[in-house]
Amino acid sequence: MAQEPVIPSGGVLNDVAQGGNVARRTKDPTGMFFLLPAAVWVLLFTIFPLLYALYTSFWSFRFGQRNQFVGLDNFVRLFTDANLHSALRVTLTFVIVTVVVEMLVGFGLALLLNQEIRGKSVLRAIMVLPLFATPVGMGFLGITLFYEINGPINVFLRTLGIEGIPWLSTPQWAPVAVMLIDIWQWTPFVFLVSLAALQGLPVDLYEAAEVDGASGWDSFRNITLPLMTPTLWLILLLRLVEAFKVFDIPASMTLGGPGRATEVYSLFTYRTALRFFDHGYAAAQGILLLFIVMLIVTLLFGRIRELYEVGG
Amino acid sequence: MRNRSRPVVMVFVWGLILIMLIWVLFPFYWAFLNSIKKPAETFQATWVPWLQFQPTLEHWASELSIRETRNALRNSTIISVSAATVALVLGTLAAYALARFRFQRISNGSLTTWFLSQRVLPPVVVVIPFFLLMRQLKLLDSVWALVLLNATFTLPFPVIILSQMFRELPVELEEAAMVDGASRLQSFLRVALPLVLPGLVATWIICMAFSWNEFLFALSLTSNRALPMPVYIAGAEHTRGVQFWFVGVRVMLTMLPPTILALLAQRYIIRGLTLGAVKG
Repeated sequence: MAQEPVIPSGGVLNDVAQGGNVARRTKDPTGMFFLLPAAVWVLLFTIFPLLYALYTSFWSFRFGQRNQFVGLDNFVRLFTDANLHSALRVTLTFVIVTVVVEMLVGFGLALLLNQEIRGKSVLRAIMVLPLFATPVGMGFLGITLFYEINGPINVFLRTLGIEGIPWLSTPQWAPVAVMLIDIWQWTPFVFLVSLAALQGLPVDLYEAAEVDGASGWDSFRNITLPLMTPTLWLILLLRLVEAFKVFDIPASMTLGGPGRATEVYSLFTYRTALRFFDHGYAAAQGILLLFIVMLIVTLLFGRIRELYEVGG
Repeated sequence: MRNRSRPVVMVFVWGLILIMLIWVLFPFYWAFLNSIKKPAETFQATWVPWLQFQPTLEHWASELSIRETRNALRNSTIISVSAATVALVLGTLAAYALARFRFQRISNGSLTTWFLSQRVLPPVVVVIPFFLLMRQLKLLDSVWALVLLNATFTLPFPVIILSQMFRELPVELEEAAMVDGASRLQSFLRVALPLVLPGLVATWIICMAFSWNEFLFALSLTSNRALPMPVYIAGAEHTRGVQFWFVGVRVMLTMLPPTILALLAQRYIIRGLTLGAVKG
């Protein structure tokens, strides 16, 4: 099943890098009939709201006052708002820690388990489960998992000689608990994708290397790593984008607390918008987040495209 | 590296697999365990029902007898099934268009990227416009607002998974049908669609699971009647305190449907989640 070459297999990268296999495509105008419903839908429900958010960001909405055009005031506020900066810091820490751990552990496990072992399909099926475990459910369950007095994690740690970590009540540990749940959820993703890509690597290259007397480390460095690079960049991009959007787990497990220790960007913006009804400012925050994510995508996507062009 | 399975290596590998399995499965088992334990037994370190403690279904029964719980389950079902269906219909048509036609003004590659770009858009950016829009349309606290939004945000899955599948089909089959007098639409419906049926079902399932799990929009746009499971369970500890048995049942009720669905669609999940770049 996974023996076909996995990497340049169509999909957006292939399309962008090589123009896809357009040879058999016709220019028949009935194509529009198939394309239009989805295109119109996306225009209506993403482009229009996005433009509206941009428009909103230039206005001020206050209770008991008329809506006022304030120009760039909302954006200027972004630079001086200490709470926003705290949310950015929390989010950046979250993104860096979770993505680095998930990438290293996920890829490492995939390398170690890339062998002929029995029951691989069962293992793969089990690793799919966390990806679809409702994040809010996991946050809610996290409250009991990280329960400080006799919760299962602290009970387990006690057997290792570590006593009662105050997981959810201290600003030092609450972010760790949130990050652990995210790592639990997404390390399997890195693992599964890496494993699928590893199994698609051409076996004859390894055999040739072995005949030439290459050690395991040699073939890892000279065959596995270069061939896996595009896939690893892609996983990194997908994880980064997803991690910046984090909301569900802190919103359900710690409610952003204690204090603001786990108040991630999306949670802060959500509160600005729907608790304090400061729509204009919340819109400006949203645009900044979008800008950050777009920046990452642009930087990494260019890099990935290059790699695929060389490799594919 | 492969095929070199010395016994020492295998022991190490299996040890690693065991740790991975415990790590991945423990939270699920913990939720299940709590859901069948009597409150007094919560903090006893007992792990095997019947052998170590007498399991009970009373928490399941009492949770399911609450009308709000049944409502939330129903809402979640309506939202995920409808949203997935809308996304699948729109997405399949677009996928077919991208696989079989060449577009003039905008290249197929750009169109595909455009459809996928929604997965990049942070939902919180458009929460306010949607909130205001739904208020205008009198769709606040209505499941249909969430159907609409989840259909929008899961649309990339059918587009990417199915356009790949259509591209892998031999064009000749459809051409033959058209030579025999079938229209484009007929050859799409009668020839191409049946051939991608497994992918179609799997994509539908993936969209359902994602819609079921969605939280931010649900939290912003529902307040009472239309609450789906994730919103219903979130924050409940503040009204009822941390009651482990009750958390257990609710978490199980919320997480079982999407995880079971995901197992059914397993073969297509890697493809969907990597935007088609890696096949699992």
